[in-house]
Amino acid sequence: MDNSKEIFQETSFQTAGPFLHIGCMPNSIGIKGIYSHDIGIRPFEGTNDNLITIQGSVYDGNEEALDDVLLETWQSDKDGKYSSDRGFARFAPDKITKQFKLTTVKPGLVKNFDGSIQSPHILLSLSSRGLNMTLNTRIYFEDDDLTNDPLMALIRKRKNNIDSLIAKKINKTNYIFNIFLQGKNETVFLDI
Amino acid sequence: MKTKSLLKRNYNHQPLVDYPDYKSSLLRAPKQEKIFFPSTSSEISGPVFNRDIIGKNDNDLTVNFSKNNKSPIGHKILVYGTLKDQYSNPIEGALIEIWQANAAGKYLHPNDKTLTPIDPNFAGCGRCITQSDGTYDFFTIQPGPYPYPNRGVEWRPMHIHFSVFGKSFGQRLITQMYFEGDPLIKLCPMVNSIPDQKGINGLIGKLDTSKASSQNILAYKFDIILRGSNQTYFENRKEGL
Ligand SMILES: [Fe+3]
Repeated sequence: MDNSKEIFQETSFQTAGPFLHIGCMPNSIGIKGIYSHDIGIRPFEGTNDNLITIQGSVYDGNEEALDDVLLETWQSDKDGKYSSDRGFARFAPDKITKQFKLTTVKPGLVKNFDGSIQSPHILLSLSSRGLNMTLNTRIYFEDDDLTNDPLMALIRKRKNNIDSLIAKKINKTNYIFNIFLQGKNETVFLDI
Repeated sequence: MKTKSLLKRNYNHQPLVDYPDYKSSLLRAPKQEKIFFPSTSSEISGPVFNRDIIGKNDNDLTVNFSKNNKSPIGHKILVYGTLKDQYSNPIEGALIEIWQANAAGKYLHPNDKTLTPIDPNFAGCGRCITQSDGTYDFFTIQPGPYPYPNRGVEWRPMHIHFSVFGKSFGQRLITQMYFEGDPLIKLCPMVNSIPDQKGINGLIGKLDTSKASSQNILAYKFDIILRGSNQTYFENRKEGL
């Protein structure tokens, strides 16, 4: 590390606003013919085995499900390995059902730089009108052992709403993960 | 063994998420404090997009939606700059996506219910991948300001939305570029949710008239800085990578 270098200020965020689909998923709102396809449709192109789905909604302070948010996820493969060319997904809730649906592979155990092990998880970011900055959280899975995960341990110690980070299993391949921006069930957001 | 950590984000330069002057934040801004923890390989890694996803006109919004070679209405501008990290290292190969209103201040979007006219030759959508020196450029049309409901009807300053990927998921940035000299900037609650003037100034594209006569185009320079990362050394462990 070169400590002699001046550290500049990170560019400030601004809200993504209500029209983010134009830039981030134009085909989804009928702007066709510019990009052949929207990015992040399939996080693991060509993989059809052992897929899981995670469904849920994003609720505001009135417990109203939102349909104008952009969700992005980043995860390892089933063996816990990150690769820059796969593992990214981008999606938005359905206009009618107000539910999002991510179909992906179940991530594996992730080894940290220091040798510690993280339980399987997916990074999730949320951008929309009304949010001056992107919010970040994580999705863990209720059927995994979460006792030794370093972040889970930290949140348990601080008595935050740990359940908000854990996807509920409804059957072999389907999970539910709801996000609450406010209220008694407010999701734990992370300063990543 | 070597490891990396993203520089801790300095929230003195970032907008307040809980900012009641921006009415849409009232029901959306979380109230609990965010939980900080040091970067793991999950935040350090991130998606990188292949140059072959970028079409020839993806960064030229004046032609990428035009029909029968018709130009969109408005004056053409060049928006360019360099993407760097906090240590001034240029970031190459990073995807930048932009979106904006047309010259009249209308978005081509089903949720833009204003009666302002759309422009059949303008979608307001563009993207590019930064060059080896971190530079990027977009040709587009000067976007118009537009009204929106807030404390009564207020007007957004002219702006272009930017979405930027670095090399780490933790570097991800979504922001807006404003235009030097626009009197609406200082009236905007979204702008004013940023507590420091330097942070605001960093979002204002600087007018560059160097190409105004030779290439007949006004240019705006907008440099973008993503989080830097530290490298530190760990003692090798048996189970280490
Ligand atoms: Fe806008």
